[in-house]
Amino acid sequence: MSASLSLRAVDKVYHPRGRSSVHAVKALSMEVDRGEIVALLGSSGCGKTSTLRMVAGFEDVSAGEISLANRRIERLAPAARNVAMAFEGYSLYPPLTVRENIAFALKRGRLSAGEVSRRVQEVAALVEIEPILDRYPNSISGGQQQRASLARALVRDAALYVLDEPMGQLEPQLRAVLRGRLKRLLKDRAMTSIFVTHDQTEANALADRIAVMEGGMLQQFAPQHVLKERPANLYVATFIGEPPMNVFDASVVRDDGRTMFELDNGPSFGFGDNELGPEVRQAIGKRRRVVIGVRPHRVVLGNGSAETARVVSNQWLGDQSHVAMAVAGKLLVAVSHARVRAAIGESVPYGVRAQDLHIFDVDTTVALAHGARAA
Amino acid sequence: MAQIDMAQIEIRNLHKSFKDDAVLKGLSLSVDKGEIVTLFGPSGTGKTVLLRLLAGIHPQDAGTIFLRGRDATGSPPDKRGIGMAFQNFALFPHMTARDNIASALTARKTDAGEIARKVERVAQLLKIGHVLGHSPRELSNGQKQRTALARALVADPDILLLDDPLRNVDAKLRYEMRLELPALLKRVGSTVVYVTQDFKEAMALGDRVAVLLDGRIAQCDTPARIYAEPVNVGVARLFGDPTLNLIEVAPQLVDGAPEIRLGGAAIRLPASYAAAAGSPCLLGLRPEGLRLVDGPAPGAIAVDLVAVTPLNEKSVLLLTMQGGEELLASEAGDRDEPRRPGPAHVAIDPDTLLLFERESGRRFIPAENGKGGS
Amino acid sequence: MDRNSTIERVLRAVLLTLIVIFFLFPIVWILLMSFQTNEQILRIPPSLSFVPTLENYKALISGHLLTSAGSLDIAFMRNLGNSVLLSTCAVVLALILGVPAAYAFARFKFWLSEDIAFTLLSFRFAPPLLVLLPLSLYFQELGLDDTYTGLIWVYQLIALPLILWIVRGYFEDISPDIENAYRIAGHSWLRTFFKIAVPLAGPGIAAAGLLSFIFCWNNFVFALVLASADKQPVTVGALAFVTASGIQYGQVAAAIVLSVTPTLLLALYAQRWLVEGLSLGAVKG
Repeated sequence: MSASLSLRAVDKVYHPRGRSSVHAVKALSMEVDRGEIVALLGSSGCGKTSTLRMVAGFEDVSAGEISLANRRIERLAPAARNVAMAFEGYSLYPPLTVRENIAFALKRGRLSAGEVSRRVQEVAALVEIEPILDRYPNSISGGQQQRASLARALVRDAALYVLDEPMGQLEPQLRAVLRGRLKRLLKDRAMTSIFVTHDQTEANALADRIAVMEGGMLQQFAPQHVLKERPANLYVATFIGEPPMNVFDASVVRDDGRTMFELDNGPSFGFGDNELGPEVRQAIGKRRRVVIGVRPHRVVLGNGSAETARVVSNQWLGDQSHVAMAVAGKLLVAVSHARVRAAIGESVPYGVRAQDLHIFDVDTTVALAHGARAA
Repeated sequence: MAQIDMAQIEIRNLHKSFKDDAVLKGLSLSVDKGEIVTLFGPSGTGKTVLLRLLAGIHPQDAGTIFLRGRDATGSPPDKRGIGMAFQNFALFPHMTARDNIASALTARKTDAGEIARKVERVAQLLKIGHVLGHSPRELSNGQKQRTALARALVADPDILLLDDPLRNVDAKLRYEMRLELPALLKRVGSTVVYVTQDFKEAMALGDRVAVLLDGRIAQCDTPARIYAEPVNVGVARLFGDPTLNLIEVAPQLVDGAPEIRLGGAAIRLPASYAAAAGSPCLLGLRPEGLRLVDGPAPGAIAVDLVAVTPLNEKSVLLLTMQGGEELLASEAGDRDEPRRPGPAHVAIDPDTLLLFERESGRRFIPAENGKGGS
Repeated sequence: MDRNSTIERVLRAVLLTLIVIFFLFPIVWILLMSFQTNEQILRIPPSLSFVPTLENYKALISGHLLTSAGSLDIAFMRNLGNSVLLSTCAVVLALILGVPAAYAFARFKFWLSEDIAFTLLSFRFAPPLLVLLPLSLYFQELGLDDTYTGLIWVYQLIALPLILWIVRGYFEDISPDIENAYRIAGHSWLRTFFKIAVPLAGPGIAAAGLLSFIFCWNNFVFALVLASADKQPVTVGALAFVTASGIQYGQVAAAIVLSVTPTLLLALYAQRWLVEGLSLGAVKG
């Protein structure tokens, strides 16, 4: 019974008393397909939680429309929307046991007691809370409460599942296991879901598409690999990826078959027209200044490169090295999957290839080109 | 009486319980002058408790703490001469950021000019000079964190205790500080104990990593050694993302060389593991040490590639072996053609292989020159 | 949720008006009474229009009460002064004793601390009459009978438990790490108390102080039994208005208005803190 969710030009403005109003969500439009899992990703205060709460019905929409399964829902009370929500703050009913809490979500449907019991057991097994089903919320840990809250949302048959940081309180190992299971459940049952997170790994692992938000606006809505390889603007480029993309302001100098990027207070990188193709050059156009970016694991370390830089830090993390070098007054981070034996203070050669460059407009921060293709 | 050969911080056999819960059970650790030791372990295992005992906030039940060669028992927090940054910042809400930082100097009766100078200097270092006049309420999380750190550093303490100071900070700033902190701390020259729950942070920041498990320090070693030579299964599992694969095996000697059966294939172990033959073991396989190979090969296991999860700079592959056991492998970088689920073969890199005694969990140390031991 | 229908809004307004009228009515009536003469007050049917008079206030302030049976000397202003003196001193003393004690209860879990704290609170439960008679005997023996000192001491029974419980809650609310951080920065625990704990618990201390003031001010029985006329507060002094020639309603009303005004003004001034302090005291039980 899942169907698609559609948001059209949704706005949310808060008017706290005694302070100026806050425009938390600005003209947000997005379409979620049936059975799709979508993540709202962003740092705190970007508007993702406000958006989620508007979809679930706990906040009014200041402007715009929300539709679910071709039905306008932005004016309906939460209970009338056929949306199941798992809250960040657990919010279990204290006088009921965990089992009763989960079963409560099924009260509206006309299911036999046996069926209810079976479903509760099934979802409890998924999130591994079977041993505490008959305990009360005040006697279980924060992580267990969170899982119970999640189970309560998942046990229902709803058109949309809305999850607010569903695994924030859980430790990394458990999170990894539950993520796998949750994804499998959502996919097997074609449950359309939308969840909020600030953790990229979680977004990557669970979502079909990720909506990156910042300052109340949708920055880009695409699958993970598109966000990584073709970020729409500088914000997405530096937000997605750990370590974040290295970015530098540079001046563009065209010289007879070569394009030079002169980094402010730093080295210059030149590329022949065979490396930096016509499409890219056209995208740069007549601009004299751009922002160039390169992902840490694309920085080439080692001999054969013209430029060298002083190593500021070299950290070995078991399966990869993170080497930070002083370039153009900032730090350039390179990631290598081999041990890099360079001491702090040593100069190492490094290089950047044209196919790994991301170029952004310096004023609008919109992406101009990624690698060999225009944005 | 100061003992010159003692480390800057020396902890001997520390015990601490809360009500009936024994948190520290005979913990011992030494930290040398100028060293950064990261204290790492799962949540709730007592890392913060240890830091508080070092600071003098709580008294220990048993055991001794020596600071700078002197027994610190009975010494109150204000007399220990340490700097501490708390996980929850613990900034004074009714004072400006400037006064918060200055509080570490006002106790020592430094003159006002000197105090102002030192506060400015440390604020510039941590890039919070422009918010010194704000109250904590008006600061962002990142600024609060740096203010708390500034307060710990401003008096140039020779002993610094940092309790997960980057936890509440957003990912981008966290990474930046992870790069800049070691340089900053080395410049100040303090002896540092840094608590973290993130193994990458522990490995990145520490000269040595001390793993707190079960109320004691299970291992305290350089990051490289902790990762490659963990003392037991407990420690091995804490490092690595995704976590280490663990499979029960029973090595046998075949033609004088140790061999195990895995997923229907016979895998030869390096000869230095010969002494492990005949005992029940746990095989530890690091995901990055499992490589997909093009076809069947000696030492390669037939698997089914079930799912591919692309993460930021690597992909995680979920594989199942013949017997249904799951393995996680990780692959670096991007491929032009994403892998498709289906049958495949995987080879094990012997350098990242770990073998543990099944019962005790202790790592089996491969012999040099053919003599084994554990 | 702001899904308001017009009906809900109208209903809410009506209800609020009714409640406000219900609570304010006696106060407004008494205020009006204080500007009327006895005859106007006792007129049947009662009327809202009258010619206001300041006779009652003049009588109270000058100390001469004019009744049909003659003139009476009422030392009302002296009573007012006593109220101010007793309440203020009692509260100040209770704060000096209670705030450090509250801190001790909050921060140091010493042996029997919970029991001692509860015992101190229990003084509020016991009806004063229980202790009053034996207390008056002791006071006479000790020479404290009919002294300001004695009364201020007894008023601690009212003020101290309140301050202890409210302020303790505020101290407990301060994260211990904030104080620890100050200690580690090199300051002694005494300095930490004055520079960190007390300022941060400020609202609670003010609220507790105000509440204690109000309760001390309203107290009747202690002063009635343990003091004589020249030391009695307004609560007891009001009895004097029941005269041989009848109850002087006008002056009583004026006396009430004058008695209530100081505490009302104080409460209005600090109302925000009062609510905060009250709820906190209730929760930290």
